[in-house]
Amino acid sequence: MKTYLALIKIDMKLALRMRSVIFFNYLFPLMFFFIFALLFRARTNPGAMIQVLSMVIPLGVVGNGLFGAGMRSIQEREMGILRRYKVTPITPGPLLVASMVTALFVFMPYILVVLSIAHFYYHMAWPANWLSILIFISLGLVAFRSLGMVIASTANNMQEGQILIQLCYFPMIFLSGATIPIDLESFPQILRTISNFIPSTYLVRGIREMMFTGKSILDEWELVLILMVAAAVGLTVGFKLFRWEKEEKIRPSAKLWVAAVILPFLIWGVVKYVKGEPAPRHSQRNQNSGPTQAKQFFSARHESGS
Amino acid sequence: MKTDSAMSVPALKKSNAEVKTDSVISVHALTKNYADVEAVKGIDFQVQAGEVFGLLGPNGAGKTSTVEILEGLRPRSGGQAAVLGFDPDRQKQQLKDRIGVCLQATNLPAKIRVQEALDLFGSFYTRSVSSEKLLQRLQLWEKRAAYYETLSGGQKQRLALALALVNDPQVLFLDEPTTGLDPQIRLEIHSLIQEMRAEKRTVVLTTHYIEEAERLCDRVAIMDEGKIVAMGTPAELQQKSRSQSRIQIVCAEPIVQSWPQWADAIETTLDREGRTLTVYSARPARTLFEIMRWLDQQNMQIEDVHLKKPTLEDVFVELTGKALRD
Repeated sequence: MKTYLALIKIDMKLALRMRSVIFFNYLFPLMFFFIFALLFRARTNPGAMIQVLSMVIPLGVVGNGLFGAGMRSIQEREMGILRRYKVTPITPGPLLVASMVTALFVFMPYILVVLSIAHFYYHMAWPANWLSILIFISLGLVAFRSLGMVIASTANNMQEGQILIQLCYFPMIFLSGATIPIDLESFPQILRTISNFIPSTYLVRGIREMMFTGKSILDEWELVLILMVAAAVGLTVGFKLFRWEKEEKIRPSAKLWVAAVILPFLIWGVVKYVKGEPAPRHSQRNQNSGPTQAKQFFSARHESGS
Repeated sequence: MKTDSAMSVPALKKSNAEVKTDSVISVHALTKNYADVEAVKGIDFQVQAGEVFGLLGPNGAGKTSTVEILEGLRPRSGGQAAVLGFDPDRQKQQLKDRIGVCLQATNLPAKIRVQEALDLFGSFYTRSVSSEKLLQRLQLWEKRAAYYETLSGGQKQRLALALALVNDPQVLFLDEPTTGLDPQIRLEIHSLIQEMRAEKRTVVLTTHYIEEAERLCDRVAIMDEGKIVAMGTPAELQQKSRSQSRIQIVCAEPIVQSWPQWADAIETTLDREGRTLTVYSARPARTLFEIMRWLDQQNMQIEDVHLKKPTLEDVFVELTGKALRD
């Protein structure tokens, strides 16, 4: 136990001492927050703020998971830092857990910051189900950091890691609705179908559904289950494949383990495709059941001709 | 202390049955292969409690592979090994909890403070020494709040040694602890190793500095190309050597006359200037006496006299046919 606590303590301190951590966890996503808020005219339309949040929160989660967990782990291995740990009696367990807990401590205040700005500056009502939303985001962070760890453990060096991370990162931000609201009717159906196969889509949808409709985490159990399975697979594989030294190379086929973490999302995408169920269309659903904020947002967008 | 450590050694596992139990470290027919390369080719040695044991050899001799097997860092390919009675392949955790390691290259996060690093590593072990004591002992107290990235090479190495001592280990593995450091820091680290010996800790030291092995080690194994080519105390190794002592005499003026065959002189050379006479001899005292008498008869003024006994380096060159430094 003292090992876990000591590692969490030091990880927290190191995180707060690194400017890059502050930049990528706060400044970078906040920049997107304000750009999207401007684009969606969130000042005059509180419903649009929910759309903005459902984009910038996943953006932060995916970035933290892939770059924060993945890249840092490769760096520490390449620099020989993990090697020093290897001659002590610790196992990868405490290192992985400490990194996960630290990430939650560092990242969750960002959520509180954006929610507060949304409330005080953009006049969005506080989400009624805020606890569900925070749990869901935490779960998402754990799942995406697990994915980052698996990528880190299957990449043999920094270059490989960068390629793998970028290969995962760009589809996850562009095809999930996190940067382009591809759920909207004005975008082709094919994009919605593709988005069903992208892991971060589930974050975007989960957050949006819960914020628009006030649903609890239990109502979104399918999304929660997928994230949990992905997190469990990721942590297990990450632990199994953990490497302390850059000299310990891993066979190229090990990269398929990345697919194992993404698999729960892919299976779900296939299920949806076979069922012929497109991605949730908030504009249709919410016109009947959603809170007024949502109606306001989408009607405002239709009026403006988008 | 010697008996205590030996008695506390737990029963050895079956596979190591033939390895003697009165040593802190036992290695028998140890081999290590990397793909096609045979890095360690069946070596045997034992290290007794409280002994400073040196592995001396050039780069690529298999020293690091050997210690890394004993540290539980990499698996052996064949043979037997036991450290404190533990099999480094199968009882890694228990072993790592009791040994201290200073790797050939240590790196820590750039923004970790010196004392934080000691406290962190201390938390990994079942027993640990207070970080304050270690900081003072390794002259890092002033630097306790400094970030790792701001430390000098010598300070980083002292921290690496402090980390190796954080669990108050019975056995220490120091892999080239002074390589690349300036002479002042090397001397500091030498005195630290001597302190460790005074505390009756068992130390395995790899080095490619002869003087380090001569100065610090109770026994030395000379490794070359994965094999141990000689083993013993530095004095024993020097005695075993066929090398002769070297006598060097610098005269005030050039020697122009031809010299006689001095007793026991094996080889005599004169430098280009004709002032420096170099004589190799198996019985240097007698040879030197004869040379001095002859020089006196010739009325030659002497400026300088050197007598050099064979060193470990000579032994090394003789055994391996190569120089030790990179």
